[in-house]
Amino acid sequence: MTEHTVRSFSQDLEELSGDLARMGGLAEDMLSDAIQAIAARDLVLAETVVSRDPQIDALQVEVEKKILRLLALRQPLARDLRQVISALKIATELERVGDLAKSIAKRVKLVDKIGAISALKGVARMGRLVTAQLKRVLDAYTALETDAASKVWARDEEVDEHYQSLFREVVTYMIEDPRTISACAHLLFVAKNLERIGDHCTNIAEEIHFLVTGEQLPTERPKVDALNSN
Amino acid sequence: MSRMEPIMPQLRVATPPQGATRTQAPAAKVSARAISVFYGDKQALFDVSLDMPEKSVTALIGPSGCGKSTFLRSINRMNDTIPNCRVTGEVLIDGQDVNARDVDPVLLRAQVGMVFQKPNPFPKSVFDNVAYGVRLHGLAGSRANLQQIVESSLQKAGLWDEVKDRLNAPGMSLSGGQQQRLVIARAIAVNPDIILMDEPCSALDPIATAKVEELIDELKANYCIVIVTHSMAQAARVSQQTAFFHLGKLVETGPTETIFTNPRESRTQDYITGRFG
Repeated sequence: MTEHTVRSFSQDLEELSGDLARMGGLAEDMLSDAIQAIAARDLVLAETVVSRDPQIDALQVEVEKKILRLLALRQPLARDLRQVISALKIATELERVGDLAKSIAKRVKLVDKIGAISALKGVARMGRLVTAQLKRVLDAYTALETDAASKVWARDEEVDEHYQSLFREVVTYMIEDPRTISACAHLLFVAKNLERIGDHCTNIAEEIHFLVTGEQLPTERPKVDALNSN
Repeated sequence: MSRMEPIMPQLRVATPPQGATRTQAPAAKVSARAISVFYGDKQALFDVSLDMPEKSVTALIGPSGCGKSTFLRSINRMNDTIPNCRVTGEVLIDGQDVNARDVDPVLLRAQVGMVFQKPNPFPKSVFDNVAYGVRLHGLAGSRANLQQIVESSLQKAGLWDEVKDRLNAPGMSLSGGQQQRLVIARAIAVNPDIILMDEPCSALDPIATAKVEELIDELKANYCIVIVTHSMAQAARVSQQTAFFHLGKLVETGPTETIFTNPRESRTQDYITGRFG
């Protein structure tokens, strides 16, 4: 797209994109480190994830301030307006991803108290899938590719399936050995957090679609419901 | 274009109402059909067709010299007054071609009122400004009737409370925003169907602008309003339909909401987001 006649407007928008890229990078690193910390039961790494969360929160506040200023001073229209509104929403999604990654990291020491169980591997596998989803959707946002965004959106079904099978598996462990119930419950929260991050990825994919086309993706997405399938 | 053309508006009326929002398929009050305007050898407007619905505001936007004012002036034949100006195509009001031989431009301009960029009250009293057209067209049966028309026009223009105690003061003594509303009252007084506005707020401060915009919003309940504006925000605020002109051509037209959130044409996109170099 050509430059604005008022160049500082273009600069404002570029700055916003830069902030979101930074937020995305932070969220991605926090998530992959949190998963690694769970899988390897690395308390030190988990601690660094928790300590990074304030950065992403601060960036979100910064983005909101900039958008407020942009709306007041520039009155963006058409695609510019959609870009600004979707940035506002994506920033919120990424902040939530950061929170969930932090929550996963905080549980490392709780899961750590029990011996190795194979469910940890399942969580790590699901974690890698969700990390890949987050990476893909952030790449789609940078490149403004709706096709890539739609793929992420459709692929959330896979995340949901993972969550469902992990849920069953962990419940089985709890039945087999009640001493693991406490740790397994935390593991279920980790899985649930990953499933939520997957949802945030689809929300971001929807925003990308809206930004580029001006239209909404259908509200209904193929969904696997862990509660109904048990 | 042949004289068969009035079939078009009839077809529109025959379209069954969709029951959805009223602005979806309102009847076209004014239909421009393939309007081209030439100033001497220079063509200023190219083959513009646009339906302007009744009880609705249509905004014409576009950079200076894009033909939007020329188009506006073709609706009430103001271009007739310019030497060397030639108009082709048809402008149908209720299916009737305004350029037909038997149409009297003076009567036409009573039916199609016009408000300009700069308020242009006559050098007469507030009362006489509004009464002028009513007297000219012999619309008032009696003195009392004339007074009543003047009062109701000033009320519709949202000016009555401000001027009722100084109806004999010169129109020029009012503030700019009041003068613009006086001119609107003058246009309304002769009972038009259509009101054309050529940048009616560009000489007004924000408060006077807001009052005129509020007035436009009220007037649209009864009139077909066509407004030329350079303010994107104003077009977005007051209109239901927006038409974007560029280099004498109509580039895109659609519901105002769509034009300002998701226009189809990249030229529209570039213009409204401030990217025209």
